[in-house]
Amino acid sequence: MQDLETISREVNRDLRAYKATLMVCTGTGCISAGAFNVRDALNRILKEKSLESDYLVIGTGCNGFCAVGPIVVVQPEGIFYQKVKAKGDVEEIVEKHLQKGSVVERLLYRDPATGQRFQTMADIGFFSKQRPIALRNKGIIDPENIEHYIGRGGYRAIRGILESGSPDEVIESVIKSGIRGRGGGGFPAGIKWRSAREAALQRREIPYVVCNADEGDPGAFMDRSIIEADPHSVIEGMMIGAFSVGANEGFVYVRKEYPLAMARLGKAIRQARERGLLGKNIFETEFSFDIHIHRGAGAFVCGESTALMASMSGKAGEPRAKYVHNVEYGYRDKPTVLNNVETWANIPVIIEKGSDWFASIGTGNVRENPWGGSSGTKVFSLVGAINNTGLVEVPMGVTLREIIYEIGGGIPGGRRFKAVQTGGPSGGCIPVEKLDMPVDFDSLTEAGSMMGSGGMIVMDDRTCMVDVAKYFTGFLMDESCGKCTPCREGLPALYETLDRICNGQGKEGDIEFLEEVSETVSATSLCQLGGTAGNPILSTIRYFRDEYHAHIRDKRCPAGHCKALITYSINHEKCTGCTLCALKCPSGAITGEKKQTHRIDPLKCIKCGICFEVCNFDAVEVK
Amino acid sequence: MIMADKISIVINGKPREIPEGTFLLDAVRKEGITVPTLCHHKDLMPSGTCRLCICEIEVRGKKKLVTACNYPVREPLEVWTDSETVTRHRRILAEMYLGRWPNVRAVREIAGLCGVSESRFKGRYTEEDPQSCILCGHCVRACREFALERILDFAGRGIHRHIAMPFNEVDPHCIGCTSCAYVCPTGAIQIVDDLNQPVDPQMIRDHGMKVNAEMANLDPVQCRMREVGTANIVDVMNQYDLLPVKNYKYGSHPEVWKIDSKMLKAKYFTQNMPDGCWKGCSMACAKTIDDFELRTGPYKGQKVCVDGPEYETAAGGSNMGCFDADFIAEFNFYCDTYGIDTISAATTIAFVMECFENGVIDTGVTGGLELNFGSGDEVLELLHQMARGEGFGVDVGQGIRWLKDKWENEYGADRKFMDDIGMETKGLEVSEYVTKESLAQQCGYGMAIKGPQHDEAWLIFMDMVNNELPTYEHKAEALHYFPLWRTWFGLYGLCKLCWNDVVPADNKMTSEPQKVPDHVNNYFKFVEGMTGIKLDEQKMLDQSARVYNLQRVMSRMLGYGTRRDDYMPYRALGPVTAEEYESRQDRYDKQLREIVGVDPEGRSTSEKIKILRDYREDQYDKTVSVVYRRRGWDDNGVPTVERLKELGIDLPELVAIVEKNRG
Ligand SMILES: Cc1cc2nc3c(=O)[nH]c(=O)nc-3n(C[C@H](O)[C@H](O)[C@H](O)COP(=O)(O)O)c2cc1C
Ligand code: SF4
Ligand code: SF4
Ligand code: SF4
Ligand code: FES
Ligand code: FES
Repeated sequence: MQDLETISREVNRDLRAYKATLMVCTGTGCISAGAFNVRDALNRILKEKSLESDYLVIGTGCNGFCAVGPIVVVQPEGIFYQKVKAKGDVEEIVEKHLQKGSVVERLLYRDPATGQRFQTMADIGFFSKQRPIALRNKGIIDPENIEHYIGRGGYRAIRGILESGSPDEVIESVIKSGIRGRGGGGFPAGIKWRSAREAALQRREIPYVVCNADEGDPGAFMDRSIIEADPHSVIEGMMIGAFSVGANEGFVYVRKEYPLAMARLGKAIRQARERGLLGKNIFETEFSFDIHIHRGAGAFVCGESTALMASMSGKAGEPRAKYVHNVEYGYRDKPTVLNNVETWANIPVIIEKGSDWFASIGTGNVRENPWGGSSGTKVFSLVGAINNTGLVEVPMGVTLREIIYEIGGGIPGGRRFKAVQTGGPSGGCIPVEKLDMPVDFDSLTEAGSMMGSGGMIVMDDRTCMVDVAKYFTGFLMDESCGKCTPCREGLPALYETLDRICNGQGKEGDIEFLEEVSETVSATSLCQLGGTAGNPILSTIRYFRDEYHAHIRDKRCPAGHCKALITYSINHEKCTGCTLCALKCPSGAITGEKKQTHRIDPLKCIKCGICFEVCNFDAVEVK
Repeated sequence: MIMADKISIVINGKPREIPEGTFLLDAVRKEGITVPTLCHHKDLMPSGTCRLCICEIEVRGKKKLVTACNYPVREPLEVWTDSETVTRHRRILAEMYLGRWPNVRAVREIAGLCGVSESRFKGRYTEEDPQSCILCGHCVRACREFALERILDFAGRGIHRHIAMPFNEVDPHCIGCTSCAYVCPTGAIQIVDDLNQPVDPQMIRDHGMKVNAEMANLDPVQCRMREVGTANIVDVMNQYDLLPVKNYKYGSHPEVWKIDSKMLKAKYFTQNMPDGCWKGCSMACAKTIDDFELRTGPYKGQKVCVDGPEYETAAGGSNMGCFDADFIAEFNFYCDTYGIDTISAATTIAFVMECFENGVIDTGVTGGLELNFGSGDEVLELLHQMARGEGFGVDVGQGIRWLKDKWENEYGADRKFMDDIGMETKGLEVSEYVTKESLAQQCGYGMAIKGPQHDEAWLIFMDMVNNELPTYEHKAEALHYFPLWRTWFGLYGLCKLCWNDVVPADNKMTSEPQKVPDHVNNYFKFVEGMTGIKLDEQKMLDQSARVYNLQRVMSRMLGYGTRRDDYMPYRALGPVTAEEYESRQDRYDKQLREIVGVDPEGRSTSEKIKILRDYREDQYDKTVSVVYRRRGWDDNGVPTVERLKELGIDLPELVAIVEKNRG
């Protein structure tokens, strides 16, 4: 095998030989916005102009700012072009920027609030407040080229360990780093590894390492992005884990809806094998290790550790009791370490830069006790009523306010922030009073929600919290495997109760029933799907009890969302008689002469809200 | 069985010690505490799905709720079975059940137990049928754990979960064992037809399900027949110095790990499905090696499926000194393919090997084959020759008795030595157990009507490990009872393995554990349930004795069946050679001193061998006489006319044979 430094030197020299490199984001988001066309157009034009030897086009992984894709970043200056189209825009970038040396103003990012334009990523609030560690190589390297990863220092961590490290030392430093699992449970990774190693030694079995890339939370795409942008970081992380616990085989369980991630990972594994980085006697040592990809079976619950292993073994993806842990009897009844994609991707950096460095980022003191805080960063997917939707990586402990306002750019349309739902479907809703709360494992749990895998859904004042609870309860009900009674029987009953409340048929005692049953479901379910399923209901009751009361007692939906509880009417003072609403109403409920005030027939109105949306004079009102 | 460590726990305030790994529910129930359960079944693996059995525990300072049925106690803890939290959640769970299945009796009982009579969970999913399926999963687990099938399983997610067969069709692979219906608590599964029209199907089922439950629960800790088949005994026999090594010279060997059940399981047995003589056998002890690539013979280079190896085949390998599982698998395959008995082949070849190593024969006789112990390649070549009817194989294929005659006549070989080490009686080769230390088993082999196989009596453990047959009378009783009992299986065409391989957990408490009375009774009930005929021990013995004595008379008619034919070669009784004696010198010296009453000090090995031999042969002789008497035979081993009369088989033809051969 070629020496890493040589590969690194050569690839960096080759890259530097170009006048500039054009980093075209080819993550799933930008691809669906046309990134491949942009990339191909760039290549074509450069060729036409015989500029291929001066400029290099590189397809990168997701930058996290998919809402403004396709993205092209011109390096080394780092000029950030957004919403680039293959026709026209590409020519302009080549001619104006590359050939003439002047930036294409109109393709720069524009702050929706101030209208100000920014040239580089570092200038944009969305990026400047982030701290990429897991996503350290996003947008910077070609994920399909192993040399790029090596050129950025890749595979040095595992080599260092193989040359002069012992499994116990590595485990010790992973424990000391304080890194807790990024997949939901927040269990200290090092402690998990140590248990697996001990079990393996005691039982004289060869353990397995597994990477959880099932990512079933609706709207979440952290893990997909990491694999798409930097698959080798996951591979290297798994190698380090494998060495530590004594495994020689690893598996990545990838959600089947992630074809691009699967393809990139497959390619990365093949390249690593070709270079002797996977296979037998890696770096001419005793260490042998290989990785296989396992395609997920497409159920949310398959992301749960025991269900995942059942699914990997060809059984129905149902959880089992964890009284005997996977680290003792996991995949094929061998000790098994399961970690999330993001957890694995952090490992090489921890080894390279040291556990103290990692532990110094984040909250609490984890050096003595990994439960003592939350170290490192976390990747969140920021969606909902927010200006900058996208993927952000921030140090643990930043406040919700910083994420939502400084990175996320606040709520669109100047509306009022109401709550943020964190932790995936069975997370909870955190209200405005808690905006200054630090975001870490324990604070989120304390607030009745959880870190989960890092979903954040921002809600403005038009979101009905009972409806939110109903939506997530419904999701969990549909995804419940049905194996255990409380989750199977409890969630439909909870859902029906919420549905009744939203339909104006709520009655006294409903809230108590919701609380009582949610508690039992959470306390007695077999797996953590049911075990956390009470959160959406309990957290919304905890922070928005009034809203429940309004629905039940006053038959009113304060957010103006629940159809059965609202009426649309036209404010005669404001109506100009433009007739637009009457034209758009699908049920013909609006009548009125031109230039005359209009009215809505409540019997015909189907409460679709179109009139409300279309009226240019805010004359349509919801009550 | 390894005894588990004890763990201290506190149950509702009372300190207790329980074996490590006990499920919490079992520990709690032992205290007479009631914990509601719906998905739990005493004979099935816990599934922990109804959640009714939740209890509150405190372990390492942390309190939590766990389901008692599947919580293995592995560290000290305190448990509360009825704390406020527990009862509150249980009530809600019971309410859920009552709302969904208000009329199912099992549900109503549980609800009652939890103090719930009304449910807020009634609604669109409520099922009024009193025989509704309550998703307890007993049937699924019974199908898997009892029948080793996977016909039934859950389908559908969440509230739509239900029991189904593949593709929602009646699965033709269902063996109709009725295990599922037997364990269903609601009657949701019904038996529609009892095909063979037994007189009392319920009686058969009640006893059959007991067997199933024991296979599911006890086999994994007792015999592992399901896991590794009869090969499990390789390890055990080696441990007790009973595994034949190098033509029965020794009973154990340091290289046995290469062919033991652990090795076979890890590297050979591949078929990941149950395999038995018939589909539905809940013991399913057959094992298979798939894709085994042959090294020799007509199918060389091909990948084949090897049916086995069973204990006797693996032990045959060790008897030939071949501690190589590849060899054993290949030997197994070719014996099966050629229609050659692995036992006779291995025992004969082991004899040939010892003769070869002792210079009784040489390569001139073997056609160039260097037949030393352990030479697997030569054994396979010899086996192919036997099958082709070529070379030395033609001779070896005739068996030990024939070889002894030929070698004595043609080469003047030492007859006495060959008689001592040639392990055959009545011309049949001995099966693969060392009997030197068990007088009862020596007779069990020697006196077996059709030759020395353990099908009639396997008394080694009873005799030497458990010391249950201390006197001649005890031995004679065993050698009367067991051959008859074992013959009885043949009368009905029933498999013996589920009589005594796995035994009930409380078997030791019974008055005659060696007979496994509960299992004998199972067989009687199977017959009664099928035919309506009631059986007891005496009736059984009478039925068998008729056949057994008839067999003995016929054996006599064929030129065997007298005292002369019931002797064993001395190798089966004790050490023939000096190396053999010296390898277990402590044991034999001790016996000389303590049992024979001779001081071994200062005596030569050959002298000691002689004394021991005289003693043991005398013992054997005496036992034979006592057994003959117990069986109602004369001193020459021929059934008396009175015995035939007593059994009602005094047919003139038989009486004539018996009269002619009176001792
Ligand atoms: C219902 C359910 C779904 C889950 N889905 C995922 C998932 O999609 N990805 C993931 O990494 N972990 C998921 N988890 C968490 C895993 O069970 C497990 O804790 C995690 O993969 C361990 O890795 P970590 O310690 O690195 O986080 C899920 C858990 C539950 C209960
Ligand atoms: S909690 Fe829900 S998802 Fe988990 S095992 Fe129970 S029914 Fe299945
Ligand atoms: S009858 Fe036996 S094989 Fe058939 S489904 Fe029931 S348990 Fe399974
Ligand atoms: S059919 Fe009977 S045994 Fe099977 S799950 Fe339903 S209630 Fe239980
Ligand atoms: S895919 Fe390009 S920013 Fe996400
Ligand atoms: S008895 Fe059903 S969970 Fe324990």
